[in-house]
Amino acid sequence: MQESSELVRLPPSVALHARPAGAFVRTAATFTAAIEIRANGKHANGKSILEILGLGADGGSELTISASGDDAAAAVAQLTELVATFS
Amino acid sequence: MAPTTENGLVSLVIVSHSALIADGVAELVAQVAGPDVAIRRAGGGPDGTLGTDGGRVRNALAAAAAGTGAVVLADVGSSLLSVRAALAELDGDASSRVVLADAPLVEGALSAGVIASTGAPLADVAAAAEEARGARKL
Repeated sequence: MQESSELVRLPPSVALHARPAGAFVRTAATFTAAIEIRANGKHANGKSILEILGLGADGGSELTISASGDDAAAAVAQLTELVATFS
Repeated sequence: MAPTTENGLVSLVIVSHSALIADGVAELVAQVAGPDVAIRRAGGGPDGTLGTDGGRVRNALAAAAAGTGAVVLADVGSSLLSVRAALAELDGDASSRVVLADAPLVEGALSAGVIASTGAPLADVAAAAEEARGARKL
């Protein structure tokens, strides 16, 4: 069981809207770890597009991506990379 | 447009009084969930007006039931009644592979479509659709 967490900033021009949120969930779902995103003082299940959309995260905002489970470190590494390269 | 061939993913069926709504929801889900989730549509009445077409709903559900399984998202009123009537006509094995979600159409279809694209089983895709009932937007 691993715990992992990392802070990442959304690119300035990319808000966490439907398409990037969908891409996030599709990557998150490839891991067994539970995944959470925090932004704007709210938190969302990283495998729920509707919860992620509810964060209302604008371009340039900071997200904390946390994971808990056997593949938590790999999940956080891959998801922070994905967020940083959203375009 | 999404494939209708068998690829092992749970598919979606969108039922609406409006063909434009059904087409638009399918287009949106395909953008967000990717091209691999089959999305069947039964939108509008038999003569192209607003309404429901029981025959088209039946055909969509029968086609969906032939695959891995499907979650049905419907808008309101007679859309739901026509889905229930069509489900009652499927045989037991086929009807067990088609789930009518108690969920708002757009949000439920998006949530279900994204989870379906990951290869999740029918129960998980249906749960993702119904999660839309309680999801906060603000």
